[in-house]
Formats: sequence, C-alpha cells, structure tokens
Amino acid sequence: MIPHVFTSLDHASGGLVYLDPGSGSILLQMLLAALLGLGVAVRLFWGRIKTIFTRKSSTSEKSVEE
Amino acid sequence: MNDRQRLSASFRDPSGFIYRQDGMLYRQVNRVYQNHYDMLVSSGLYNQLTKSNMLIQHEEAKKIDPDENVYLTIKPETIEMITYPYEWCFNQLKDAALLTLDIQRHALDCGMTLKDASAYNIQFHHGMPVLIDTLSFEIYEEGSPWIAYRQFCQHFLAPLALAAYCDVRLQKLLMIYIDGVPLDLAVALLPLRSVLKFGLLTHLHLHASFQKGSARQSRSGSKAVVTKLGMIGLIDSLRSTVRSLHWEPKGTDWGNYYQNTNYGEVAFIQKTRIVKEFLAAANPSRVCDLGANTGVFSRVASGSDVFTISADYDPAAVDLNYAQMRKKQERKLLPLVIDLTNPSPGLGWRSNERDSFLKRCQSDLLMALALVHHLVITNNVPLSDLADFCASLASWLIVEFVPKSDSQVQRLLRNRQDIYPEYTQEGFEETFSQFFTCCRSVRIEGSQRILYLYKRKRIS
Repeated sequence: MIPHVFTSLDHASGGLVYLDPGSGSILLQMLLAALLGLGVAVRLFWGRIKTIFTRKSSTSEKSVEE
Repeated sequence: MNDRQRLSASFRDPSGFIYRQDGMLYRQVNRVYQNHYDMLVSSGLYNQLTKSNMLIQHEEAKKIDPDENVYLTIKPETIEMITYPYEWCFNQLKDAALLTLDIQRHALDCGMTLKDASAYNIQFHHGMPVLIDTLSFEIYEEGSPWIAYRQFCQHFLAPLALAAYCDVRLQKLLMIYIDGVPLDLAVALLPLRSVLKFGLLTHLHLHASFQKGSARQSRSGSKAVVTKLGMIGLIDSLRSTVRSLHWEPKGTDWGNYYQNTNYGEVAFIQKTRIVKEFLAAANPSRVCDLGANTGVFSRVASGSDVFTISADYDPAAVDLNYAQMRKKQERKLLPLVIDLTNPSPGLGWRSNERDSFLKRCQSDLLMALALVHHLVITNNVPLSDLADFCASLASWLIVEFVPKSDSQVQRLLRNRQDIYPEYTQEGFEETFSQFFTCCRSVRIEGSQRILYLYKRKRIS
C-alpha cells in the first residue's frame, strides 16, 4: 500500500502550464506527498479493516438474534 | 466584433480570455484548451461543481468565430461586483481557500486538477465564494505534481497564517504582492511558535527553505512524480492547516458601536425607518454603504433585495458582518474591508490588472451614515471635496450630518484644534447643495443628527 512516490522522476505534465511551480516547491511537494500519501493509505487501509470487522460483527449479531 | 474589449486582467492563461461585448461578458476558449474543456463537461465535474455553487455557471454562446484558434465562447453568469483578496476579511479569505481545496479534491475524483490556485479566481456571489475561472482545470495525469501548490501557499496560507499569528492587518500585504505573499517574507514575520503546527512548519517554513535552496542549486533535469494518493494527502493537509487557523474579532473600534453611541432605542428605530423610507423613494438597484460597520443599515437595503456593498475599514467589524451574512444566508450583501482614506488603487501590470475600488463600487445610491465627521475631522477632508467624492460615486445619496455638539464629534475634537469652521449644519447643507438637490431631511429624535436624501444635480 506504500504509494509509489519515488518510482520515477520522469514525469512531464501535458497540460497548459503557464505558472512557474518553482522547483523547490515541487521537490518539497514530492517529499510531503510521500509522507502524507502514506497517511492517506493507512487511513484507507484501516477504514477497510474496520468495515470488514463491523460487517462481521453485525452479521454475527444478526445470526445470534436469529 | 468591433467593440470587443478584452479585460485587462485576462492575459496570462493561453487557454482563453474574458472580453466584454455589447455590455455582456464572454470567455473565449481557445483550441489548445479543447480537450480539457471537453473533459470538464464529460467527466461530470462541471455539473457537480455548479450544482453545489462552487463554480460559476455558464452557457455556451452561439457565436461563430472565424479565428481557427477559437474552440468556443462561453457566457458566464454575471458577478455583481468583482472584489480582491486584499479587500476581504479573514474569514472570507479562509472560505475562499477552503473552496479552492475542495474543488481540487472534486477535480481529482473526476480525473482533473486545478492548474492555478489564484485567490483572484474566487469571487463572492450570492453571499458565497465561487470559482469564476472555468478554464482553471486541466486533465490530471497520474504522477504529476500540483503545479498550483506554491501559488496556493502564497495567495492563501501565508496571509491567513500572518493574520492568525501576527496581525490581521497583514492581510493587506496581498495589495503589495500581487502574486501572493512571498514565503520567505511570511516566515520572517511569523513567530517561532508557528513551527509547532505541522502544516505551517511544512507548507510555509520548509517550503520557504526549499525555495531558497533550489534558487542556489542548478536544475538536475529530472522531473517530479507525485502519486494521486500523495496529492490527496497534500490537499488534506493544506485543508486541515487552513481550517485550524482562526482569528476572532476582538477590541474592535466599532464592533460595539451601536451599543456605544448617542442613539437610544427609539432613535435607532427611527433612523432605520427613515433610511428605509429614503431607500424606497430612491428605488436603487445597487447600493454602496461606506463606513458600514457591521452592516446594520446595509441590511435595510439588502433586505429589500437590493445588492449592497457593505464596506468598512475595520477588519473586525467586517468579519462580524460576514459571519452574520453567512449565518443568515444573505444573498444580496457584500461585506468588504475598505479604508476610505486610502481605497484600493488600480494595481498589477500597467496598474490596470486590478481595478480601483472607486471604479468598481459605482452604484445607484451611496450611504454615508455617521461617516462625514470622521472624514472631515479625523482625516481633514474638506467638505466640498467630500461632496464631490460622493457625487462621483452615485446619483443618490443618503448622508447623516453629526454636529459638533454631538458627543462623538466632541470626542474627536478633544485632542485637536478645531480648525473646521465650515463644519456646521448650514455649511454642510450649502456645500452639498452645490452637487446635490436635497429631496428630504429629517432630524433623528433624541439626537442632534440629521439624515438627508440627496439627488445628484445634472452636470450642465
């Protein structure tokens, strides 16, 4: 689940870039995105685990009631 | 097509530009933007954003342009008044920042991204912030960084942090730096404790250091990669940082004005009634209330469904005004921070990119309630100059004269020599009658103040 942030440094935007994004800003963004993306991945992963357990518990509760 | 006038602010983006023709605003979409525009519509992003009032609506104009560079022309919904971030209160800028980030999240979900994050692309329309630049979107390519990250930090995060951590008046730095507050300046002004907040440490302090570092080093030639998940993390981090910045109006000069004036309850009710009557007599479609404080009398106009600019120099009063406007979902009010003794000038390229406040605030009716004594006595503006100024902005005027005997004027005169011999009721009426015809005048019961309804004289 670790995001592939540093897999390549060869991306070129095909859009109509008219702003100077600033090379320092881009470099920082890459580092931050690696860190924060990991956080998002963990959050998503944790959310899925919770959903599985919530489903399981609600299913078992139902079967107990039955 | 002869009278087609390109707006002076619309020249940076090769995707298209805004122009005025026959009194209507149009946006030309250039052929180079075709794929991006089509994606905006086909992905459902346009519908999604316009339905939730996040993006200005437009209709495709049936115009045939012989120029092969033109893809199509759109006619966006008209904004009542264009305003700039240096005229907004803290929470207006904060709401505009959050809107920009929310739009970027929606855009990513639809396979698009914002290619710019300019605060000037956000306007207040029907009491809500809205993105007005339909051409701000481009097709998102997996792995590409957010090109507008630096611009977002300069236009929104830096001024908000400075307002929250140092002084709200530092928001006016946006007037000097047209492309946002430089990050090295922002971190030089921010207190050391600001590094304790992760979002400010990274997006401002580290960001400024990286900018400085990259300026010294030569480019390696390598291109950046930022995953979509990383981009979402970045946007979420910016969002939580912006949300955590607060500024509470405290110690405002005029925030408690209506509790601290010479008005009793009866006089206040009467003043409101007179203003209402005067407004009904003039029947304006657009009002500008200068020195509006928290907008109590602006609401007399906006409550009658009249678009009303509600300007005051005090950021605290304007923030209170804005908070009330959002709470009550008032669609016809526009609170702004304007110092009348130094209103926003024309700025930017050729001083023509951002129009002056006085050019934009032209209205049918001007309200100047409890304002004249501040301008004449505190700022030494000659009465005749003030009357001329009022006549230059609107054809109708509701103005309040506060005589020297009033305790508020006495307070202003306490520490200064009375060098205002013409500041009398007679002097006031004589001066204003040179520019206006007096339609009505009413003394407010229980005070010495007089309200006038004036109609501008025709210039012969």
